[in-house]
Amino acid sequence: MKTVAVIFGGRSTEHDVSIITALASVIKPLELSKQYKVEAVYIAKDGSWYWDDKLKDIKPYQSGEIEDFMHRAPKVHLLFDKGLTLVKSSQFAGRKMYRKIDVVFPAMHGTHGEDGELMGLLEMANVPYVGCDFRASAVAMDKVLAKQVAGASGVESNPWVWFYSRQFSKTPQTVLKQIKDLKYPLFVKPAHTGSSIGISRVEKVGELMNALEVAAHYDDKIIVEQGVQNLIEATLPIMGNDDPIPALLERPLTKPEDFFDFDTKYMQGGKKGKGSAKAGAQGYSELPAQLPKELCKKAEQIGLDVYRVLGCSGIARIDLLIDSKTGKVFFNEVNPLPGGLYAHNWRRAGISNVDLVSKLVSLAEERWQAKQKLTTSFSTNYLKQF
Amino acid sequence: MLSPFLEMYRLHFAKTIAYMLQATEYQVGAYLKWLWRVKDFSQVARRKDLVKTRRASVLLSVVRAGMLGQFLAALIWGVVAIKRKDPAGLFAIDLLVSIPIVWSHLIVVPLVFARWLYVNPLSGFQVQRAEKIFIDHPAVKIAVAGSYGKTTMKEILLTVLGEGKKVAATPANKNVAISHAQFAKNLDGDEEVLIIEYGEGAPGDVVRFTENTHPNIGIITGLAPAHLDKYKTLQRAGEDIFSLADYLKNKNVYVNGECQAALPFVKRTHQSYSQRQAAGWKISEIKISLKGLSFTMKKDSKTLQLKSDLLGAHQVGPLAIAAVLADSFGLSKEGIETGVAKIKPFEHRMQPREIGGAWIIDDTYNGNIEGMYAGLKLLQALPAKRKIYVTPGLVDQGKDSSAIHRRLGEAVARAQPDLVVLMRHSVTDEIVDGIKAKNYKGQLVIEEDPLNFYMHLDQFVAAGDLVLLQNDWPDNYK
Repeated sequence: MKTVAVIFGGRSTEHDVSIITALASVIKPLELSKQYKVEAVYIAKDGSWYWDDKLKDIKPYQSGEIEDFMHRAPKVHLLFDKGLTLVKSSQFAGRKMYRKIDVVFPAMHGTHGEDGELMGLLEMANVPYVGCDFRASAVAMDKVLAKQVAGASGVESNPWVWFYSRQFSKTPQTVLKQIKDLKYPLFVKPAHTGSSIGISRVEKVGELMNALEVAAHYDDKIIVEQGVQNLIEATLPIMGNDDPIPALLERPLTKPEDFFDFDTKYMQGGKKGKGSAKAGAQGYSELPAQLPKELCKKAEQIGLDVYRVLGCSGIARIDLLIDSKTGKVFFNEVNPLPGGLYAHNWRRAGISNVDLVSKLVSLAEERWQAKQKLTTSFSTNYLKQF
Repeated sequence: MLSPFLEMYRLHFAKTIAYMLQATEYQVGAYLKWLWRVKDFSQVARRKDLVKTRRASVLLSVVRAGMLGQFLAALIWGVVAIKRKDPAGLFAIDLLVSIPIVWSHLIVVPLVFARWLYVNPLSGFQVQRAEKIFIDHPAVKIAVAGSYGKTTMKEILLTVLGEGKKVAATPANKNVAISHAQFAKNLDGDEEVLIIEYGEGAPGDVVRFTENTHPNIGIITGLAPAHLDKYKTLQRAGEDIFSLADYLKNKNVYVNGECQAALPFVKRTHQSYSQRQAAGWKISEIKISLKGLSFTMKKDSKTLQLKSDLLGAHQVGPLAIAAVLADSFGLSKEGIETGVAKIKPFEHRMQPREIGGAWIIDDTYNGNIEGMYAGLKLLQALPAKRKIYVTPGLVDQGKDSSAIHRRLGEAVARAQPDLVVLMRHSVTDEIVDGIKAKNYKGQLVIEEDPLNFYMHLDQFVAAGDLVLLQNDWPDNYK
């Protein structure tokens, strides 16, 4: 039986979302598949790594017992020895416990996890891992880079500008001048955060400074986007390596005037003020999106184009903005590890949770095997000649 | 975790004993058989838990008090013996070690006495009193007997006849003599139709039921291997069930014509019902889907267009015979059609449920081979992207259990589900043999932890899936 390490938590504002993704959407179905031995690897908010079966249960996180656990439990070390091995002290007789990992399933959201950092580490260990590789993750998680790469391949985005947070701090007037040409409403976003954290909808000039300050609080890079007229938001989960397949085009059901922040998305089931917390991130949408067939096809194609040009593999979710009057579809952003894997959408598309995680593990192995065929080093006389 | 042996010494053990007694319906023989078979008491109450009825609570208290008493006796004996330096102190260890063994057996003593001295005489009295109520009651009394499909038949009759008559029926699956007595006690006296379900369990049961309830009409829903621990053979079970027809002098007897096993018992004067006809009414235009079924019935100038939410073509016969009886009782065409349309799928009996675009047919109360075949035919007939069949097999199939489960396996293979999930039990190998014998090409999974599977079914299914869950295996069967 293969051993899959599910890594979650992390030094990210989406730490808690990551725990839910890992426990509910990854570990549980992986274990139910009975094909894998699953090891839970939790990265605390301070960046310490822990590995224990107890971490598969939601209760310690909810009750706060996790703090006690972290005080007592040994931290995990990583060994890069022909792959990845988890190492932790047994706390007795100086013995250590080793666990060789066959596949890693990152269930991280946001910075230091979803943005390619973790994937880089796993590349160094030369272990197969689920989801986009470090290059695609880094590009996808940078909203500016993603738009630039997609734009270079002819995929259209609504007008936008970007700048570093330090530019905003030092010369706010220059930044405001840059933004001046965009039409309101505007969306001010930290370039690297997900789950709608730090995002503001700005209706008028007077609100802009505050929105920029909020975004600068979360990130060193800020993007300001012009709102799309007659807006229909849509999102498309996609899975695969060389031959990606889309799930169903999904439409969030918030009105354009409602701002869709973290609280709305995760805490209120997508319905501001009256949603049920139980519904979670999946309770807010129309699935499949009830849009004209042609428009759906167009959106699906643009989603697949973005997936390919950004070099995504494994799984990702492409967010799109549609002008319902003109039928124009704009690329908005990419989420290389969608919250909960967007399992609800895959299920409606005919792929069960158990099949989804199993397929993702297979895709990780497929990509890794293809990579092993590449030549990465060769012998030279260079050292002898030195 | 404590080893299976030490499980007996956990405080929870008293509750486990009470649960085992309750699960075996306080049948001492069945309880002891189960008790002696158990290797790990932590695995006993897997599906259910003790329901705190008065009887269960009393038994639990008795076991707890007894265990505590023995524990204290051992303690006192030990302390005294140590003080006296008496080697008989070792007996204290015997007393301690034997606590769970003694009380798991001793608890049957009050049960046996209670049955002899109180329950049986009281039941006898209540049944006698009920017989008088049934004799004096002016209603038409319909008895429903058979190895399977009784509760469904009873509910169908209750709903359809209830459209024009005042009808009362024995509740849920309460179908033994004492349940009939309680039913009789609660009657208003002005009912026009009484429907009484006969739950046979041992030879002579149905004869006794007829003598107590005095039916005018009998419906025999089918014959299949069930309770063969008592009947031993299907022939004896058939003789018992058809003693209902004997009581009625073979008049006003309606028999499920689709049940092959019942055919040898059918007399010329019996009327049959099936998907083709019901007591002379012709049935046509049967349509089935996940939303239910519809069909047309015709006799002379009368036509009935019936629609129901029930699933499966095997429901056509029971619905049709209910319609026939309703017609004979003078119900209008509209009344009959409305009554049939009102019938909803019964809990855990071919009950459809949607989970995120996947359809689950819950048939976990189905415990007979004929019902299994009917479900498999439905699975085969309905369209789906992926078909999944889940079962642990059947209990109480007697000496033919191996052959029955092999045939079940063959039927599963013929239904061609994409995935078959078998809950690991003593009959799994026979089902697998049957499946393999028919060159089944799909995926076969043996599930070691049924509860875990049922709890997380939503994780295994997706939109377009059709899942049929048939039968659930009680804790007290291996």
